[in-house]
Amino acid sequence: MTLLGAVWAWLTNSVHWQGSDGIPTRIAEHLWISGVSVFIALVVALPLGLLIGHTNRGALVTVSIMNVGRALPSLAFLAFALPASFALNLGLGFWPTVIALVPLAIPLMLVNTYAAIRGVDPDLVEAARGMGMRELEVLGKVEVPVALPLIIAGIRNAAVTVVATATLGALVAGGGLGRYIVDGLARQDYARLLAGAILVALLSITTEVAFAVIERLVVSPGLRLDRERLALPDAGGAR
Amino acid sequence: MTRSDELLGRAKGGATVEFRQVSKHYARSANGQPIAAVRDLSLVVQPGEICVLVGPSGCGKTTSLKMVNRLIEPTSGQILIDGVDVMTVDPVALRRRIGYVIQQVGLFPHRTIAENIATVPELVGWPKAKIRARVDELIALVGLDPASYRDRYPSQLSGGERQRIGVARAMAIEPPLMLMDEPFGAVDPIVRERLQNEFLDLQRRLGLTVLFVTHDIDEAIKLGTRVAVFEQGGTIAQYSPPAELLMRPATDYVARFVGSDRALKRLAVMRLADLRLSPVSSAGEGPVFSAETNVRDALAALLLAPRAAGTVVDSSGVPIGVVTMETIASAVQPVAASLE
Repeated sequence: MTLLGAVWAWLTNSVHWQGSDGIPTRIAEHLWISGVSVFIALVVALPLGLLIGHTNRGALVTVSIMNVGRALPSLAFLAFALPASFALNLGLGFWPTVIALVPLAIPLMLVNTYAAIRGVDPDLVEAARGMGMRELEVLGKVEVPVALPLIIAGIRNAAVTVVATATLGALVAGGGLGRYIVDGLARQDYARLLAGAILVALLSITTEVAFAVIERLVVSPGLRLDRERLALPDAGGAR
Repeated sequence: MTRSDELLGRAKGGATVEFRQVSKHYARSANGQPIAAVRDLSLVVQPGEICVLVGPSGCGKTTSLKMVNRLIEPTSGQILIDGVDVMTVDPVALRRRIGYVIQQVGLFPHRTIAENIATVPELVGWPKAKIRARVDELIALVGLDPASYRDRYPSQLSGGERQRIGVARAMAIEPPLMLMDEPFGAVDPIVRERLQNEFLDLQRRLGLTVLFVTHDIDEAIKLGTRVAVFEQGGTIAQYSPPAELLMRPATDYVARFVGSDRALKRLAVMRLADLRLSPVSSAGEGPVFSAETNVRDALAALLLAPRAAGTVVDSSGVPIGVVTMETIASAVQPVAASLE
């Protein structure tokens, strides 16, 4: 039997779709870990990104710190997260994983949000201010809606990265699809390992698609038209 | 009544704007010396006038404009609107009562045309029905069809249409004062000319006071009730009605700025009725002009007429005089003489 055949057999075995080690449970765990991590990162990164984007104060310092953060491997975060979790009495599994994922997601969201807000045409901001919008109104009624496609792109990147990396949680006794990979490796059960990897990849792609749908729903058609209009002259054009 | 209600709170007609020795300095040169963007600017704009600030780029005209709605704050001096110092008013309340149009228009790409125009009415809390009616009224006012434009997005409009919507948006709550920073700069000359004419018509009907920034002297002469010519360093070289600017430039700088063709420009701002016409002769030949025709157009027609003379008639068609090349030449002689 080829490895692929074995993977297919593993995936279609009804035993693997039931119980606490079943695929539905693992996917739910995986999504829960990822969702909580993305949510916490969002609560931290979004307001901060909007603030430094709008005021352009503290941008250099923040972005530099974020870039250092981005350069660190996720495994290193996990190594830091484990003792931190013990120190806070949060135990193994779920919390160390979340603690490792949050700092992974924050730079992706924050840097994108900051850049998206900075990228809004200064003439729009001045028109808004000149018409008598207060600073929060300028941000909420003009900067955020106009920057929304890029802000969502940042959140999407972070979410996809988190879903892919949440796999590491299994190393610290967490749940999620990473279990199949870690356990598969330990038991030399390569069908299990590969099935886990495929499921993680599918989940990442699904996340990507979900955000594309969200973007479609919340971004103004006016901006989409703008982009299509700008994109048109390039289509098929000589470069 | 709060201070800001008091300011610009009158129902109709334009506001009075007064600059009193206004200066703006930026401390940023290498040796730490403050650099003046605007220096000791004093001028008065009467209600219903269009005051055009014209000059080369970097002469402080946009800075002066932005000090009126406090996008920039003066270093010293006062700007009064209807006698109230703008620095004593909440900037947000102040701006909501002053129309503001910029060259890049600044229409919000994520909002429909109706939503763009509704911006200030929404900020000041008009009821929905009133906003809807006003939006349609304004789209029609700037010469577009409300039904087909209301729900479009700015990216679906041409440059000229966007400029019109920009003007409509600035007029949403009938501000007694409009600040316009090169509002017609980004469109082609033919569209610009049409927009200028429509704007003049609109402005006269509504009696708005307008502060208008441009670097185009022809636009300044065409639109301005008074024109303030700025020179480098943020000072005003001359502040006069366009005809006087052309006839009696105060300095060499102004003469150069209005251009060597200023005699022709002057003709464009004079009507045949302003000339000393010859008595009507029995012959009554040549082209017939209305008394409201501008002299430049009449001259162009005379150059092609066989006898270089034309009959001027009043609004009811009764001849009131004859215009010849000599009549026109004598009207511009002072200008020609000052060219030497």
